[in-house]
Amino acid sequence: MLLEREELLGYLADRLVDAASGRGSLVLVAGEAGAGKTSLVRAFVDALDDSPLVLLGACDPLTTPRPLSPVRDFSQQLPGLDLERDPIDVFADILERVRHTIRPVVMVVEDIHWADAATLDFLRYMGRRIGDSKGVLVCTYRDDEVVGTHPARQVLGQLAPLSSTHRLHVPALSIDAVAQLARDTSVDPEELMRLTDGNAFFVTEVLASGGELPATVQEAVLARVSQLGERSRRVVEGVSVAPRSLEIAHALAIADASPDDVDAALSAGVLVGDGHALRFRHELARAAVEDALPPARSLGLHLRMLEILEHDAERDLARIAHHAIRAGRSDLIVEHAPAAGDEAAAKGARYEAVKFYRAALRYPEALGPERTARLHLKLGMELRALDRPGDSEVEVRQAIAGFRRLELVEELANALGQLQASLWNLRRFEEGWAAMNEALQLLESLGVTETLGYTLYRVAHHHMLSRHAAPAFEYVEKARRIGEQLGSRTIAWVSLMMEGTTHIVVGDADRGVELLRRAVAEADRMDNRGFVSAGLGMLGSGGGEARRYEVAIEALQRGIDVALAIDEDYTVAYNRSWLARIAFEQGRWDDAVRYAELVERTTLQREGIAYITAMSALGRVRVRRGDPGAVDLLEEMTALSKSHEVQHGWNAVCGLAEHHWLADRPEAAIGDLEFTYRRALDTDSQWARGEVGFWMWRLGRIQEPPDGAAEPFALQMSGDWEGSAAAWREIGCPYEVATALADGPPEAKLEALDILDRLGARPLGDRIRNELRSQGVDHLPPRPSDRTLANPAGLTDRQLEVLRLIAEGLGNDEIASMLYISKKTVEHHVSAIYTKLGVATRVEAARAAARIGVGNRGVTAPG
Amino acid sequence: MPRYMVERTFPGGLEIPTTTEGRKAMLGVVENNTVEQVFWVQTFVTDDHSKTFCVYDGPSPEAVRRAAELNGLPVDRISEISVLDPYFYVEK
Repeated sequence: MLLEREELLGYLADRLVDAASGRGSLVLVAGEAGAGKTSLVRAFVDALDDSPLVLLGACDPLTTPRPLSPVRDFSQQLPGLDLERDPIDVFADILERVRHTIRPVVMVVEDIHWADAATLDFLRYMGRRIGDSKGVLVCTYRDDEVVGTHPARQVLGQLAPLSSTHRLHVPALSIDAVAQLARDTSVDPEELMRLTDGNAFFVTEVLASGGELPATVQEAVLARVSQLGERSRRVVEGVSVAPRSLEIAHALAIADASPDDVDAALSAGVLVGDGHALRFRHELARAAVEDALPPARSLGLHLRMLEILEHDAERDLARIAHHAIRAGRSDLIVEHAPAAGDEAAAKGARYEAVKFYRAALRYPEALGPERTARLHLKLGMELRALDRPGDSEVEVRQAIAGFRRLELVEELANALGQLQASLWNLRRFEEGWAAMNEALQLLESLGVTETLGYTLYRVAHHHMLSRHAAPAFEYVEKARRIGEQLGSRTIAWVSLMMEGTTHIVVGDADRGVELLRRAVAEADRMDNRGFVSAGLGMLGSGGGEARRYEVAIEALQRGIDVALAIDEDYTVAYNRSWLARIAFEQGRWDDAVRYAELVERTTLQREGIAYITAMSALGRVRVRRGDPGAVDLLEEMTALSKSHEVQHGWNAVCGLAEHHWLADRPEAAIGDLEFTYRRALDTDSQWARGEVGFWMWRLGRIQEPPDGAAEPFALQMSGDWEGSAAAWREIGCPYEVATALADGPPEAKLEALDILDRLGARPLGDRIRNELRSQGVDHLPPRPSDRTLANPAGLTDRQLEVLRLIAEGLGNDEIASMLYISKKTVEHHVSAIYTKLGVATRVEAARAAARIGVGNRGVTAPG
Repeated sequence: MPRYMVERTFPGGLEIPTTTEGRKAMLGVVENNTVEQVFWVQTFVTDDHSKTFCVYDGPSPEAVRRAAELNGLPVDRISEISVLDPYFYVEK
């Protein structure tokens, strides 16, 4: 019986009706443990007729969860779904089916507060795309557990604002409902309410224990178990050590029981059947039974489970490792946890891999020195990808010490190369360079090896980062030749990728784009997602630096999807920061702000280049809008960037120069600018020389463009404002177009003003208005603030757009998807429009629109 | 949380009647502001009602801009401000 849940069930049923007509949704069902989330979802599913396809999945409370467990559950009902592929491909396959099915699909994922990282990626992927499918994805979770830094919280935060996302909260039972449940018993409803707080599970459990009201809910659960026979009780205990559920065959084996004993446990209502498995009716009951097990009994059950699972054909490594860890036996942990870690790492479930590796590394004696060193190195590499370079350094150094003692030269050289990578992320370039040189020396004594090829590539990478073309190309070539000698696909790939990257930033950018595209396609063929992510990151950030925006944005967006799927948090943040910088340069300032804020909210490395790149873009938007907070932010980023390569700092420095120039006190910017200019001249980067040089020129420190400055900047510095404006128009930088036009005669300045007013670039607009006035030009266009109000009824441009769509008869959902904004934002615009027009309905709004000349056809009311 | 002064221009003049309608409009602004976590402290209006100076607390100038967009209000300029109290300088 489901009391007080009719409204929630009705809501779920409505979502299914919507889904059948192609408006899918994600429904987040929240509530505390035992509130009745599962009962609600099961009641919804049980009441369905045959038309929808129902996929049921759940996350497990394992010490370290099994990657993608709910998707594996789904796959049993999705013939032909190949789980061995890349998770992204698996997700795309499921989405494709949900989009193109005739029947609506109900997908249930229970208990996402226990979800592993890969499952959270699945939810993020589906949640973003489900709106135009025939699916309803229902996720249950304990909202009192998804708090603080819980990994699911970030995902829920990203999905909540979408118009296809719905939230349901399963509240506690009211006293009336509790009284109704207790009607035929001697239990006092008030007492029952006090003991259970209206928690649905507690209420039913207490009532089922019969007779006296127990002191605790745990007591109520144990009372029911104690009424069972000896062997049935052993079955129940066996199921309690298995997270989620236990196969009936295993339950019989672990308890040495007969099917009758299982039936007894089932008919007493302690366990429920779930296909071929047994589970508790609720996780709280399982925990109560497990907690009450004497330690020796618990150990015995875990060991027995290990034995059973090891002989299982499927060999579920995460589950085996879970029992080894719970049994606390070092020999078993070092046997099973590393393999489970490797499996998780291969699937891109890095958080899980880290937990397994750490579990094994607690027992170095049992592992022996060589395995210990290798595990430290693997752990270090996972931690670096998780954007934790400091923790990574600690592990890699342990590995280095181990390999040194064991005199494993090639492994040592490889680990030194990894150390350099972690130190680079920590901005300790000198130390990293020393580690790299040691690695090279060690390797040269060993002849031609894969590790030598890889290290030469890393050296090339280092020169590319310093924006020095000649040595970067030289080492790329050395690495490429080693790859050829060895026939190594890996070395061939990294060489190709680095050659493309070097070209895009300090060589022939077109050639760079071509080589990097080839590298990404090759990585796709190799089915190596780490390489795909690396290639896309280089194409995106390098393409952004070379102002090849279209190529760059496409690469960055795909790069984010791939990096999310393999937990490369560092790459996700860095790609997003480049989306912010590009949006800034393209004059899409609202987007730039959104990306920058997203990086700020999600990145852990407050001194890293992702943070600096994103915050520099935000600071520059403030400068160009004339908003406060620009100087502090840009000065902070300038200071942070001094220990980084010049390309990570020149944006903040140029932003400060621009701000001080607009404020007519250029001298405040000179110190940092000259320092950065000297650094820029020490590179082969035309865009560094161009932009930093431009501000040196603008502030009167140089008269001619520096050699090798990027063309649009060089043209303007040479006095060719027209050529410069045309070049910027071609690239797609409207603010720079206006900057160039502003150097021209009054007609060009007026054109610049038009661009700047549309961008909302007040300070430069004011400056140009003053110049025009002093040149005696009358009839200046009104300032944008005055013009906004020239709009009918004082509506903003956005509101006019929304009103036009209302007048065309569109609903809020459609408007939201047309304007790429959330439904909630549309609702706010609509209510603002109603207020300004003094109307209360859509029909009235459409009439008012016709009256004031907004919208054009067919909405004029009769009369 | 920083405090901002938001300058707005209403060429046609701003009219908010002291009626249910006016009250509704005010509450609408306050409710919209919560979406961006910005708080409207108070507003000074020029005699001809064509310019307003609104004091806002908020996490960033960008949040203040987004709230203005939700409310359909123009923004001329946002400045970060602090209080200068003249009587602080007076001897007691």
